[in-house]
Amino acid sequence: MGLLRYTTYRFIQAIPVLIGISILTFILANLTPGDPVRLMTQGQEVTPEQIERIEAQYGLDRPLHERYLDYMAGLVQGDMGHSFHRNRPVTDLIASRIGPTLLLVLSAYAFALVTSIPLGIIAAKRRNDPFDHVSRIVALFGVSTPSFWIGIMLILIFAVQLGWLPSAGLVYPWWSPETYGHSGYFEHLIETMRYLLLPMIALGTLQMATLMRVERTQMIESLQGEYVKLARAYGVPERTILRKHAFQVAQLPIITIVGLNLSTALGGAVLIEFVFNINGLGRLFYEAIIQLDYQLIMGITMIIATMFVIGVIITDIAYAYIDPRVTYGESE
Amino acid sequence: MSSEPLLRVENLKTQFFTDAGTVRAVDGISFEVHEGEIVGLVGESGAGKSVASMSLLRLVESPGEIVGGEITYRGETLFGLEEGPDGELRERDDMLSNEEMRTRIRGNEIAVIFQDPMETLNPVFTVGGQLREFIELNRDLSGKEARKEAIEMLREVGIPDPEERYEEYPHQFSGGMRQRVLIAMALACEPNLIIADEPTTALDVTVEGQIIDLVDELQEKYDTSFVWVTHDMGVVAEICDRVNVMYLGEIIEQAPVDELFHDTKHPYTEALLNSMPRPDRTVGELEPIEGVMPEAISPPSGCRFHPRCPDAREVCQRVHPENKEVARADGYPHNAACVKHDVFDVGYDESVPLDKEPQMTASTPSAGDDGE
Ligand code: SF4
Repeated sequence: MGLLRYTTYRFIQAIPVLIGISILTFILANLTPGDPVRLMTQGQEVTPEQIERIEAQYGLDRPLHERYLDYMAGLVQGDMGHSFHRNRPVTDLIASRIGPTLLLVLSAYAFALVTSIPLGIIAAKRRNDPFDHVSRIVALFGVSTPSFWIGIMLILIFAVQLGWLPSAGLVYPWWSPETYGHSGYFEHLIETMRYLLLPMIALGTLQMATLMRVERTQMIESLQGEYVKLARAYGVPERTILRKHAFQVAQLPIITIVGLNLSTALGGAVLIEFVFNINGLGRLFYEAIIQLDYQLIMGITMIIATMFVIGVIITDIAYAYIDPRVTYGESE
Repeated sequence: MSSEPLLRVENLKTQFFTDAGTVRAVDGISFEVHEGEIVGLVGESGAGKSVASMSLLRLVESPGEIVGGEITYRGETLFGLEEGPDGELRERDDMLSNEEMRTRIRGNEIAVIFQDPMETLNPVFTVGGQLREFIELNRDLSGKEARKEAIEMLREVGIPDPEERYEEYPHQFSGGMRQRVLIAMALACEPNLIIADEPTTALDVTVEGQIIDLVDELQEKYDTSFVWVTHDMGVVAEICDRVNVMYLGEIIEQAPVDELFHDTKHPYTEALLNSMPRPDRTVGELEPIEGVMPEAISPPSGCRFHPRCPDAREVCQRVHPENKEVARADGYPHNAACVKHDVFDVGYDESVPLDKEPQMTASTPSAGDDGE
């Protein structure tokens, strides 16, 4: 099977998964205690007739499965329903909030990859050296410290104490520089980075620590491989062995972990958005839950699930691309 | 038998410094390889053959280290120690540096064929790419020439459709075909000496036969010398010119192959030969060697083979026999390390035979009593 067919195959495979997720969320969201109509009309004088009218208006009086089918019919046309609470289409709400979250998650991943791989390799090469011990302590700290706490500490040090970096909000690079009064794209970029830096590190530290540990273990194992012995016996320079022969084999598990950790990263993003006051999907999600905004909860869950599934598919494809032993999907 | 051997190993010692103690994996072995010869290094697993062969390239992995002896290859010192002014041993000035070992010796002078063709090739690179990389490194050829040479070598070792297979990955090759690729790698670098470390052990018998025929044929064509590491006396008989038998880090018998088979001097070699399937014997007549080889970390006293030796006598527990010339054949010495043949009589004949049941003493820790 070619790479293109494999890709298509994996995406088709994902459809039942997403349908399953949608059913589950739909049921769960509707089982949540609390009545949305009552919540909406809080503090107002309403008659039972009025409530019935509102329920009919939003279709809340119809059986669950009918409402679900309606919802799915809308979904395939790109309509995620209407938020009761905000009186706006869910699609619009998500569209306005997804950018910052994606920016945050992707930059955190970029930060984690760029730092963890070289550090992991050096730690593997200098196994049991002081460098290795220090990096292992840092990694242990990274995996065992909650990201929001790291975020708060970063704010205290770099924003409050030193005053070097802003502590809240983001500059959206996709808005024009004029919106922020920046004099040009260069300043715009610098400002984007300045705002992004702290939340990115706060969210990325966990990923960095996890990946660094895996990279170290994998490189140590790979460096003991028979193929490394072979390369040495044929006079391949040690740095080529490190960068090429041992490296490429060691990256395969990294790819898998990057994909699977996407869920942790998305979860972490919710907290980081709170700590850094970023108007992203995470905060919207939180508000939707508090307000029992069913449609919005459904919409965001579906979007996050889809992002996760796509992430996993991309990592699978990358894996298949790098590891020639993977026969595209035939072994399912 | 030219004057100067291609490779001379003298009193080589390689040890592993583990938490449990020092393992004397190779404990003072000496042998020579002459131009165009296939020299066998035979013994059960754990005898130190592989460590010895890796020592030749100075590729012993930590915690292992070559601690003594001398390795000379074509007049160059691959390893050699001398006493410094402070009385400590230090590396000799004429010993090649690590960089020189890498650029001048490994691959282009001495190449290796490894044991496990399944694990040895890198799974994420094409077979051709790996072959080409080694050719480029060791033969000063441009990428394009190296590619042509790689395809030529694949053809030479009997891989059909070499142009197409060049682009394939190791997992697309069978075990036998991968072993052929490893042979192609060794030959393609045009070395003068190839170390074959149990190259047929992982293969089934039919493929093993094919590979041995192939090596025989190529050896004649290229006149490459070989150090052939194996535990299989059958392979030795088929391919080697001269043989070194190893037991627990020591060479206990060395002789030209016919001499070794027909006038065996050492009881261990005899036991190895008796345990080998031969056409003139039924399986029922095979005599497995009694017991298992003890650990090299605490070898038995005296002759290291005495707990398992059918001829062992009391003296064998005390006297460590030297590997000495006991006969000559085809201009080569026939050496054996056994007090039976000791010219300075240590009293073997008068000594009392040891009990058939191997004794468990402090000095014979894992003397195998698991044989019947
Ligand atoms: S020295 Fe003694 S124990 Fe060793 S091989 Fe000879 S007879 Fe056997």
